[in-house]
This record gives sequence, C-alpha cells and structure tokens, in this order.
Amino acid sequence: MELLILNGIVNGLIVGGIYALVGVSLTLLYGVLRVVNFAHGEFVIAGSFFAYVLFTSLNVPPLLALPVAAISFFAAGWGLYYVLIPRLSRSDDPELMSFLMFYGVSITAAALMLLLFEADSRSIDYSFTPISIQVGPIYVSTARLVALAITAVISAGLALFLFRTLPGKALRAAIMNPEAIQIVGVDIVRLSAFAFALATALAGVTGVLVALVFPAFNAFSGTEYTIIAFIVVVLGGLGNPVGALVAGVLFGLAEQMATVFLPQALAQIVGFAILVGTIFLRPSGLFGTSTKK
Amino acid sequence: MSIAIETRGLTKRFGGLVALDGVDLQAAAGETLGIIGVNGAGKTTLMNCICGLYRPDGGDVFISGERVTGQPPHVVAHKGIGRTFQVPRVFRKMSLIDNLLVPVLDHRASDAELTERAEGMLARMQLIDLRHNYAEELSGGQQKLLEMARMLMPDPPIVMLDEPFAGVHPVLCKFMIERIEEMSGAGKAVLLISHDLTSIYRLSTRVVALNQGKVIAEGGVDDIRGNPAVIEAYLGT
Amino acid sequence: MMPVSSRPQDSADRIYFTLVALIGGALMIYFALVPVFGLNVAFHFYLMLWITMASAFNVSSGFSGYLPFGYVAFYGIGAFTTAILVKKAAFPVFLALPFSGVAGLVLALLFAPTLRLSGIYFGIVSLALAGICRLVITNMPEEITGGSFGLQLGSRAHPVQSFYVMMAVMVVALATILWLSRSRLGKALRATRDDADAAEMMGINVPRVRLYGWMIAAFFPAVCGGVEAWYTNVVDTETAFNTLITAKTVIYAVAGGLGTVTGPIIGAVAMVWLDELIWRQFPLLNLLILGVATVALVLFLPRGIVGSILRRKPQWRRYVP
Repeated sequence: MELLILNGIVNGLIVGGIYALVGVSLTLLYGVLRVVNFAHGEFVIAGSFFAYVLFTSLNVPPLLALPVAAISFFAAGWGLYYVLIPRLSRSDDPELMSFLMFYGVSITAAALMLLLFEADSRSIDYSFTPISIQVGPIYVSTARLVALAITAVISAGLALFLFRTLPGKALRAAIMNPEAIQIVGVDIVRLSAFAFALATALAGVTGVLVALVFPAFNAFSGTEYTIIAFIVVVLGGLGNPVGALVAGVLFGLAEQMATVFLPQALAQIVGFAILVGTIFLRPSGLFGTSTKK
Repeated sequence: MSIAIETRGLTKRFGGLVALDGVDLQAAAGETLGIIGVNGAGKTTLMNCICGLYRPDGGDVFISGERVTGQPPHVVAHKGIGRTFQVPRVFRKMSLIDNLLVPVLDHRASDAELTERAEGMLARMQLIDLRHNYAEELSGGQQKLLEMARMLMPDPPIVMLDEPFAGVHPVLCKFMIERIEEMSGAGKAVLLISHDLTSIYRLSTRVVALNQGKVIAEGGVDDIRGNPAVIEAYLGT
Repeated sequence: MMPVSSRPQDSADRIYFTLVALIGGALMIYFALVPVFGLNVAFHFYLMLWITMASAFNVSSGFSGYLPFGYVAFYGIGAFTTAILVKKAAFPVFLALPFSGVAGLVLALLFAPTLRLSGIYFGIVSLALAGICRLVITNMPEEITGGSFGLQLGSRAHPVQSFYVMMAVMVVALATILWLSRSRLGKALRATRDDADAAEMMGINVPRVRLYGWMIAAFFPAVCGGVEAWYTNVVDTETAFNTLITAKTVIYAVAGGLGTVTGPIIGAVAMVWLDELIWRQFPLLNLLILGVATVALVLFLPRGIVGSILRRKPQWRRYVP
C-alpha cells in the first residue's frame, strides 16, 4: 500500500508538473488578452506531433526537440496572434466570442492533425539508458524523471522571468490593470502578441514533454488537455500564473491519488468535479482573495 | 403627511470599509428629499440597499410602513419603488418600447394598453420618434430620459434618481428638472442623489448630507446651505 | 396563438405575420413532401434536426445570454432515455419520446444552479457537466446502457415515420420560439440578458425567468436525441455525447444570427447544405472546414447572416421574425 501511495506521489508530481505548464500558459493568455483559448490542448498535442515528426523522420531526440519546438511555436503563435486577435477585439463581447472562435481553432487544429497523422495513436519510441532509475523503494522511468526536471526548470525560469525581468513585470502589470499599462507607455498590442507567442511556445514545449511522459497521443487528445488546463486555471485563479503552477501540481497529485484509491471510472470524474466545485465554492480560485464573480 | 419611505439605522460594510453607518431618513409623499455628499460618501450604496440589490448588515428599510429589508430587488420593486442609475443601465439590445414594458410585464393590462402607455411616456420624454430603435443607439442624455420613462411606467409612489444631471447638457438638464417637478407634483416621494448642489437646492424640500456613510446634517435647504459640517465635508480636508 | 395587436393601423405586425405564414408554410410544405417525392430523407431529417437544435440553443444564448458548451448533454440524455425505455422497458417509441423531453427538463433542473454563473465560467462548467454526464452513462451497468457497444433498438426503425415525428418536433419548437420572441417571458429574458441587476430592480424575478428559458432550451435537444436514436436505431456514448454535436449547434445558430427566430433556421439551412456539399466533394476535409468556418464566422460575421442584415437595416427589425 505504501508503495502504491509513494508511486502515486511521484507520478502525481511528474504529471502535475506537466499540468502546471499547460495551465500556466493558458492563464497567462487569459490574464493578458482576456481570451479563453479552447484550442490550448490542441496546441499541446501539436507539440507532441512536432517531436514525433522530428524523431521519426530526422532522428532528433526529444530533448533536442524542446528548443526547436519552443522557437517554432513562438513564431507560430506570434503570427497567429495577428491573424486572429485584432479583429476579434472589435466584436461586441470579445471574451465570449473568443471562446467560440478558439472552439473553431480547436476543431481546425484537430482536423489538421487528423489529416496529417490519421486517427491512430502515436508514441515516440525513444528511451533513455538506463530505462528506469530507483527512487527510494520504487522504480521510475528515466524519461519521466527527465520530464520532471525539465518542468521544474521551465517553471523556475518562468517565475524568474515574470518577477525579475522588465517584460515579465510588464506582463504581470498587464494582467492586473490593462488600461493603466497603456497609459504608462507600454505597447499593449506588442505585449499581447508576445504573451500569445509565449503561451503557444510553452504549449509546444509541454507537448514534447507529454510525448515523453504519456504512453501515446492522437489527433483528438487535445480536448483532454484543454479540460485539464481549464481545471488548473480555475483552481489557481483566472489569470494568476503562480496559482496555476501550484494548482497544476496539486491537481496532478489529486488525479494520481484518485487512480490509486478509486475505480478508474470515478477517477476520471474527479477532475470535472474539482472544476465544478471550485467555480461554485471559490470562484476566485484556491489562492484568490476577492470573491467577485 | 404619510411616510412613503424610511430607513432606520441602515448599515452596510464592504470588508473593513463602512459604507453606510446607521443612516436614518424619511421621505413623505410629494416630497423631494435631496441626498448630497462627496464621492464615496455612500449615496449610491444607500440606494442599492434600499432597493434590495445589497443586503444591509444592519438596520431596516420600510416602504409605506412595510418592512422590506433583505427582500430580493424584484419584490422590493413591486412594493412601489423605481429608480435610475448614475451611468444609464438601459436594456441595450431592446427597442425603446420594449425597454419601457419591462417593469410592467406582470401587470394585468393587455399588451396593447401597455404599449399605448409606453408610447405616451416616450412622447412626454421626446423620444417617440425613436421608439423602435435599440436603446444602445441613443445618446447618453437620451438614455437618461429613457431610464426616467422606464422608471415611471408602473407609476411607482417612490422614485430614486441617481445623479440624473451628471454629464447632461444644460438644455436637457432644464427639461429633466421639469419632469422631476412633475413627479413630486403628482404626489411621488422623490429621492434625489447628486453631488451637484445647485440642482439639489432648487428641487429639494429637504436635504440629507452624507459623509463617510453617516448623516452629518439634515434639514431644509437653507439649513444645509449654511451648515458648517457640510461645508467642511465639501471643502475641508 | 399570440396576442395580435388590437390596433389595425399597426402594419408592422401585419407584415410580420405574413412573413411568419409564408416562411413557416413554405418550410412545412417542403418538408412534408420530401418522402412523397422520394427526395433524400436522411439529408432532410438531419436538416430539421439541426434547425431544431440551433433554434433551441438560441433560447439559451440569443435570448438569455448563456453559452452552454456542454449543450450535447441534453441531446445525449434524450437519446439514452428513449433507447433504454424502448429496449429495456419495452415502451412503444411514441410513448418513450416524451420521456426524453422530461429527462431533458430534469437535467436542466439539476444544472439550474449553474445559471448563477456568467460568461466563460458558465461555459466551462457546462462543458465539465457534459463530460460528467458522458462518464456516468458510460460507467453504468452494461445491462442498462449497453456499455461501450451501445444499445440497438432492433426492428423498430421506420425512417418515414421518424421523419414526420422530427418534423412535428421542429414545428413545435419553432412555434414555441416564435411565441417566446413576442411574449412577456421573452422580453423578461432579453432584459435579463442585457442587464440582470437592472432587470431585477425593475421587478423581474430573474432566477425564475432564467430557469424557464433554460428549460425550453433543454427540452428540444433532448427530444431530438430521442428521435435520432429511433431514426438511426442505435445509441452509444461516443456519438450521443460527441462534442461535435454542441459545435455544430453553436456554429449553425451563430451563422444565422442569435436573437432572432429566423436566424438559426437560415444558419442551419445554409450550413447543413454547405456541409453536405463539401462532404460529398471532400469527405476528409469536412471537419477542417467546419473549424475554419467557425473562425471565419466569429471574425467576419459575428452577428450572423440575419443579424448583419438587421444591423444594416435597423428599421426591418420589426418585420423580421
């Protein structure tokens, strides 16, 4: 039993790290742009396919795929921003319309991946040596430990960026008060484009890690990650990046523990239940102080 | 003189901030009670507590002698109270006629009767030519008039006007002052909120001055005009 | 059915009702004759289904201002209710279908607390609740829901009968929405949508009005689910709770324009027809084009076909149902 629990904790941390990254990028996007990216999960899975293609056709190992994915997705996000967002902000209710538009983006992205890779599940047939490492009394696959280390490094880097650098501080300021930041002379369009690109890059990188940690993915896996991202974001408080990081790990732990203690069917419902419960009981998230709706 | 509306010890806190602190006031039928105070004095909070949007933390609201404290806004509305808002809150994607029908939807009169009454009201507010337009297509001043018309549709004995003259040009101001005089002339109790003293002094029979959620002065226009506490609240620190 | 204005000089109403009679009559005659003249029954069955779904969705989003991204939950519950009653309790189909509607209403009542939420919170919660519904049904004992194989309704299929039942459902749905759009309840809903607090201070019982709107919006998709289960003769969780059902409903309604009676009808007709055309030519691109069309709609036609026309010609609002 203790072994199971320990396993649950280790896996919870690993999976939770990935959830944290999925959540933090979505929450940045919402915080700065006030758009709800329904397609976030598809962006993540696109990252997984990106690593898959690099590996199968060019023999690039996943670790090397990480920086390539980051740069490519950053560029793609930058471009996508200028195609989608400026027009959207002219509509009557941009926040709600963004939900609808990204719903379309999500279908489009899933359809594209379906056309390119068909409906079969894919996995990257890559393994580290040794294949697993002993952690205390249990064995954990090296790939998962590497992924955990990478999520920790990215999270720390992101936190440093947000709290120690000027553009990071500008982003946080934009989340808190988008009007004021324009008055003090920040180009909000450029900053928004940057936020969108950064969130997309993070999604892509997370996708590479997903390919390392999870056994398989397919064109329709995106929706699951979108839901997970919503759970994490709501749990951490909409637009609160640090909250999302913590909430991601917490949710990963909760989910892995649920699979230890509950039948599989119920374990799946846990995530949804957490989401609904949080919105009703603590709409500002676990760490929020205000209770505005 | 019958008391139309009364509050006793009305108190409202937001976190640590005391927005209303034991406010007592009364207004009789046909009387115009001016409520003055600087920004943040608690004027709009008072109105929101009276009409049920906020639940007061203490004290009571009485409408025609009946206690309505803690009742939901739609129940309070049916006791005979109508209001306007500081920033107009019209139903943007509805025609002017439909905007006016909203407060009388559960009246027994037929649709045709109510529509006719609405058209009469729009004519009085000089909005009749726009009756099929959406409310969002009106100018700010016109929206204020629309709110006034909407408020008057169910013929409520008590009306509350929140900064009716804010951002309104002088000609329209004069027009609105006449309409407000008609309301009190028709025997309504009028609660008039403004930080603009000139219009308040002109219209009010009595004035209540609020500062930091407390009533600091109350009386006739002349009493208030010379009251040192009021002067200090407006000009002081 | 609706209170006709007592003032004969009001010609706007006369034009309005003439349009209602013309459009409604043309639709009904056309659909009634589809099986008679041997036109494509399947295509028209689904056309009517989508008209009904998009129109009912309009009550929720166009009239009430909610965007339920888990709309498929009502459809799925309706499909399984009919299937289970027919298959396991040996109900005749005609008796089972009303229970689908009832199931939709019950689910709407269960979800009623979500109406306190607004905007994206409502959308996200709705999505999660639909996910919970799917998981609950998937994990019910196999004897009831048929597990992952689903339920076969056996030899009860009768395409033409179910076609006409679908038509009856559509007509009732459109009549209800037409009534709603002119009724006092409809005005109360719109006022609540535009400014709930203000509406409440004007004497509208906001929670009750919202609940009525929500129940109307839930009833019809549930019945649609039941009729479709009968038509295809098979129900499983993968198809009955497929998020694409929500997607199509939303997109068709938005394409036509929310808030008007004709909007979702025109949207559904245009998009289903386009969908069919594309599907025949490029079956693989179907999903892709659906996605791209959604993005394009939001960016270039956010008010939909009818909504955009009425924005150009505001004076037509009174004439167009």
